[in-house]
Amino acid sequence: MPIRILPSNLVNQIAAGEVIERPASVVKELVENSIDAGATSIDVTLVDGGKSLIVVADNGKGMNKEELALAIKRHATSKLPSDDLFNINFLGFRGEALPSISSVSKLSVTSRQENSESGWKIEVCGEEEGKISPAAYNQGTRIEVRDLFYSTPARLKFLKSESSETSACVDILNRIALANPQISFSLTADDRKKISLKTTEEDLFDARIKRIEGIMGREFAENSILINAERESVKISGYVSLPTLNKANSLSQYLFVNNRPVRDKLLLGAMKGAYQDVLASNRYPMAVLFFDVNPNYVDVNVHPAKAEVRFYDSAHVRGLLVSAVRHGLSEQGNKTANTLDIAQFVHEELPRSAMLSEPSRSNLFQGFQAPRSVYRPQSSFVEMESRLSVQVEDRNFEEESVSSGVLGVPKAQFHDTYVISQTEDSIIIIDQHASHERIVMEKMKANLLKGDKVATQILLIPEIVDDLSMSERTRVLEVADEMQKLGLVIEEFGVNGLIVREVPALIGECDVQKLVHNLAEEMSEWGKEYALTDKLHHICATMACHGSVRAGRRLNFEEMSRLLRDMEKTEFSGQCNHGRPTYVELKLKDIEKLFNRR
Amino acid sequence: MKFIIERSTLLKTLSHMQSIVEKRNTIPVLSNVRIEALADSISFKATDMDTEITEIVDAKIVETGATTAPAHMLYDIVRKLSDGSEVEIAFPDDKGQLTIASGKSKFSLSCIGVEDFPVISGDKLPVEFVMSKEELKDVIDRTKFAVSTEETRYYLNGIYVHAKNEGETKVLRVVATDGHRLACVESPLPKGAESMAGVIIPRKTVAEVRKLFDDVSVEEVNVSLSENKIRFSMEDVSLTSKLIDGTYPDYERVIPTDNDKELELNVKELSAAVDRVSVVAERTRAIKVLTSKNKVVITTSSPDLGSAMEEVEAKYDNGNLEIGYNFRYLLDILNEVKGDSVRISFTDGSSPSVIHDTSDASAIYVLMPMRV
Repeated sequence: MPIRILPSNLVNQIAAGEVIERPASVVKELVENSIDAGATSIDVTLVDGGKSLIVVADNGKGMNKEELALAIKRHATSKLPSDDLFNINFLGFRGEALPSISSVSKLSVTSRQENSESGWKIEVCGEEEGKISPAAYNQGTRIEVRDLFYSTPARLKFLKSESSETSACVDILNRIALANPQISFSLTADDRKKISLKTTEEDLFDARIKRIEGIMGREFAENSILINAERESVKISGYVSLPTLNKANSLSQYLFVNNRPVRDKLLLGAMKGAYQDVLASNRYPMAVLFFDVNPNYVDVNVHPAKAEVRFYDSAHVRGLLVSAVRHGLSEQGNKTANTLDIAQFVHEELPRSAMLSEPSRSNLFQGFQAPRSVYRPQSSFVEMESRLSVQVEDRNFEEESVSSGVLGVPKAQFHDTYVISQTEDSIIIIDQHASHERIVMEKMKANLLKGDKVATQILLIPEIVDDLSMSERTRVLEVADEMQKLGLVIEEFGVNGLIVREVPALIGECDVQKLVHNLAEEMSEWGKEYALTDKLHHICATMACHGSVRAGRRLNFEEMSRLLRDMEKTEFSGQCNHGRPTYVELKLKDIEKLFNRR
Repeated sequence: MKFIIERSTLLKTLSHMQSIVEKRNTIPVLSNVRIEALADSISFKATDMDTEITEIVDAKIVETGATTAPAHMLYDIVRKLSDGSEVEIAFPDDKGQLTIASGKSKFSLSCIGVEDFPVISGDKLPVEFVMSKEELKDVIDRTKFAVSTEETRYYLNGIYVHAKNEGETKVLRVVATDGHRLACVESPLPKGAESMAGVIIPRKTVAEVRKLFDDVSVEEVNVSLSENKIRFSMEDVSLTSKLIDGTYPDYERVIPTDNDKELELNVKELSAAVDRVSVVAERTRAIKVLTSKNKVVITTSSPDLGSAMEEVEAKYDNGNLEIGYNFRYLLDILNEVKGDSVRISFTDGSSPSVIHDTSDASAIYVLMPMRV
């Protein structure tokens, strides 16, 4: 068959394949259009998970008859007034959404401009020219998408169940709503209201907190840290969760670049880097972060659904994000998530195993996984007696001389493992090993970098690493100076090799080849010196684990008190080196609820 | 098969066997020791596929035959039998179990047929020479501490032995290094070893041979070699091992020849001082040696623990210098110095230092400093 130009309906379907993947993509495109049209209220309706019908209605500025006809044409847009792809101030700009949608569904658009006398409606179905007729409508635009993918049965077949398509739509609308607190959103799926977010009258920033609370839940709002950082042309603001409030995946990280929801690998990687030693490697923090970047320094035109962006200076953005989050974490470092689901606490007669195996719950309940010894079968009377003995310190008059901090005054130690302390409005249970471990590790880390450089062992036989790729090699060489400060001396060797002359003495005899390879790989993911610091921190963590007070060691009042005061002073003391919480706070009001006093 | 053997003889042999046999094996027969009753003696054999040990011992043979039985279990049984007793070991062909009887004790162990037992020795190795046991023991002791345990540079996981023509005198050189320090020891080249190629003897083999030296009464060891195997035979015991297949790095390149600053110290004083100071050293094991006229000061300090300082008299007049060392490495070397004093030579704090026993030119140790 000779080469030919494809018919336009095929071209449109191919293009639609890029942009329109599932009902959620339709919702995203249409809602973004509404936002670009200056709407203050956007209502989405879904039927059968959006497979049968998607309606997006807004009160934006609307279109007149001529615009309506143009709107469904490919590459027709009002959002590039200056024909400059590098100065994009709207969410959309390519003029692809409506024609793409119309090529795979039955589309009708009803619109009326504020001052025009009547509204107009255009209906298109696949290839044919749309026919325009007058229609009644208030100000704004209403778009109906029926029978999505009726013309591409293959796509239709790959759609998931109605409920999961609905939840994808909810997720995408939530993301958009987070970025646009000035707009009210609602989503109705099969006559059930899934989202209903009203605008608040307060100023923008307050509105944002309210909106975040509305979407992420009270738990996040109460256990998050405010992030505000600005450097050169980049500004980051928003909230990240305390390390103890975490999820099994990164889906709860809502990142926005110039108010555009993105899932960018660079930024997700930077989040991981920022939480590297306060969170287990398979857990992810929650976050809502807004990046304000001068549009000239960011290219949003790299991904059909614009989920990824390209920064002009990506290292700068990543560096700023990591340092901002680390800064926030270290200020709030000794906090742990305090929310306990009281309902679960009351219904303790649930089989424990069932509770623990359910990740979504154990998440809230994480602090309560620790006291496993309570349920250990008692082996002998003697042992039982000693285990049941709770060491209560009765020194009320002495306590007054002890300055108490946010972690309160230690009252008792039980099972020789947990310290109980009392604050003004809560009881705190502290895991003595986990918290001491963190204290010891932070001290080690401080010592590690206290001098100008760390102690290094010079290699008698320098190690030559010559199987790195060009880009890995360049990357490693770029950071050679910083590596040297951490004790790893790397020099260029020949055309494509590296030579390692000194290694950090702490690492001892190690597989230098693997070390360099790992560093090169991790550097591409996390950037720069994190990789090596992480290695050293890991060694510190192991040493700290062995060098700290173990569970089962009886502590006296002074020791316990000292532990609490040290925790208050130590960064990241809310989690042990493995990301587990070091203490749990039981609010007095929660305890009162247990006894039905409230 | 049936024989009666004295417990102490059996125990000694089995201790040699079980130290070769790995604790956990994927191939079941490798957990076993092969026992064969010959016409007038018993042959024991154990292997881990890299090393094989064979030992012939005397016993009262009742009936010839062969089988294999779990080495560690057999060893544990014999170890717990009373001293001075006689042990009767039998393997009736029809039962498939080895019975061990001594006094009132009786054990039956499951066996695996001899046909499954791998044999790696047997062939004749081309190069043969005889070396005195003491000489061999000495070169092993003075090098084995520097063998690397890090598995990726596998060619450093053993001692490198080769013939070296140094001017008129021909010597046997034994070298070990882990990339941080190096030990190089010479001994007179035994007759027959002139033609040997350089070989790398694995760490485990070195350790096993070294243990055997203490157990046998003979004064001479027959060493035979091929490109990929080595065998040590003494008396009735012989240990055959595969060699590490790799190229040993050009170690002579890292032995500096132009270290102009020399420092001479009493070895006992130095190692006692280092040992004391090291108590306060951090996990990095760093100590500092500061040289000045006729004395050195050894210090260590860590922000957490505190500091230590000790002065040692020395013969030195080459200006003040500060060098960091890993104290463990330094002590390892000093332990092998048999003379009264030690000579350390260096140029600066970042290039290799060379350590000599002043009374013995056959050994040379190279130690890379630390930057602290």
